[in-house]
Amino acid sequence: MTTTTGSTASANGSRWNAVLYATLLPAILVLAWQAWAMTLPADTRAPSPARAVAAFVNLVASGELILATAQSLGRVLAGFAFALLAGVGLGVLMGSSRRIRDNLDPIVESFRPIAPMAILPIAILWFGTGTAASLSIVTYAAFFPMLLNTIHGVSRVDRKLVLAAMTMGVPRLRILTKVVVPGALPGVLLGSRLAMGVAWTAIIAAELAVGAKTGAGGTSGGIGQMMFVFFAYSIDLNGIVVCMIVVGVVALLIDRLFRVAEYWLMPWRQ
Amino acid sequence: MMTQETLAPKLRLREVGRQFVAPGTGQLATAVTGVNLEVATGEFVCVCGPSGCGKSTVLNLIAGLDVPSAGTIEANGKPITGPGADRGVMFQDYALMPWMSAFDNIGFGLRHGTPGKPFTPEQREARIRQFVDLVGLKGSEKKYPHQLSGGMRQRVALARLLANGPDILLMDEPLGALDAQTRLILQVELLQIWGETAPVGERKTAVFITHDIDEAVFLGDRVVVMSTLPGRVKAIIPIDLPRPRTEMIRADASFSILVEQIWSLIRDEAYRAIHEK
Repeated sequence: MTTTTGSTASANGSRWNAVLYATLLPAILVLAWQAWAMTLPADTRAPSPARAVAAFVNLVASGELILATAQSLGRVLAGFAFALLAGVGLGVLMGSSRRIRDNLDPIVESFRPIAPMAILPIAILWFGTGTAASLSIVTYAAFFPMLLNTIHGVSRVDRKLVLAAMTMGVPRLRILTKVVVPGALPGVLLGSRLAMGVAWTAIIAAELAVGAKTGAGGTSGGIGQMMFVFFAYSIDLNGIVVCMIVVGVVALLIDRLFRVAEYWLMPWRQ
Repeated sequence: MMTQETLAPKLRLREVGRQFVAPGTGQLATAVTGVNLEVATGEFVCVCGPSGCGKSTVLNLIAGLDVPSAGTIEANGKPITGPGADRGVMFQDYALMPWMSAFDNIGFGLRHGTPGKPFTPEQREARIRQFVDLVGLKGSEKKYPHQLSGGMRQRVALARLLANGPDILLMDEPLGALDAQTRLILQVELLQIWGETAPVGERKTAVFITHDIDEAVFLGDRVVVMSTLPGRVKAIIPIDLPRPRTEMIRADASFSILVEQIWSLIRDEAYRAIHEK
């Protein structure tokens, strides 16, 4: 009895220790930052934790922050959906047919090193400064991890499974949808997670850049635009800090969501 | 024996050969050559030989997963042009879909194979249940392959093979990955499921690849002994042991004589293979 209680207590204790270690350094840094900010004159523009919290409360209360986050997230989801369809569709074809892969590989590989931001000028010229421009950049950014991981996932499908299906008289197209696609699911999900990550990174950069073109009161919206306005017009460093933190927290949540999705979509892999 | 002679052969291999271009050297290598074999309806034929003798190649050729570079293969009098549901294959590592439960794996061919097969979902389910019971998987059918032991996975693969209703069973060392005890038990079960107690005409036709001579003698009506370099048929040994066969038969002198006879055909090459490695 005593030993059991003792061991649970120590298990709890070690978990709390882990939490303590993980939060200790950030807490010290925030306190140091706050201490440093308090040595500055009262009218300074330098950000401080206390002012950032105040800015956060204001931005949430006015609804601006939530709206901007929702706008950015909406674009990411739409761009991700396009990339998912195109990347998985093309990835399955390229992964399962050598001829298609040999045909398309040079094109894919020559576009891949072009950073999403590098297509921004063309995106703005073609799609203007609204949602379409930033959406196209997000789609472009998310497409490559989606495609490459799908191809990799397809190539790792056990060849024996395809042969087994053939000996059961399963037609080719059925083998593609019932053996190759589910077999490639681990690759597709990894691709999705990476694609979502770069999509979120790309949307902030795209909105910042589109914001630079449209200026304050631009119609582009989103967190990136909000940061640009804080930077170029109101020079509100506390607002920028709030945006940065929100961007980071959203990215973390998206990643966690994908881990849960993997758990539910691939119950056989536990 | 009389019945086998009056029936047309289920499978007929004539002068079958398979060559391939060896990777690296680019030279032509021979996997098998000059294979002649006729398998009667309801016959259980074991193919035995040292590694590298091309026994799996022969099985893949019959399955239609590979194409011979010489000779002809016929099933039911018709040349084989590709894989088909009439020739079911059981692979050495079972080749079960890891994302499907045992139940769905067993029903895979019924659901997706042979378009136009007249199965309603209810009939399909009943048929799957029938084979779940037959191979003794009841209670485990909802599990994924990775949750099952090797012996259980082997049962799933066997049930999948049978549920699809093939005319000819092609098995590539299906018991190879199992421990010795499980293996002995499943050999007996396999014979029962194949139809050992039924009249010859009602049995499935089976081609069973193994490197285990004891297993080949225990299971087969005939044992095809193959040899290497190049892979070819060295001898075909009839196994005239009574059926149904039980564990007891291994203690029989005639059993040991057959095993010894086959071993003497393979021995030299088996030793050579070890020394070359």
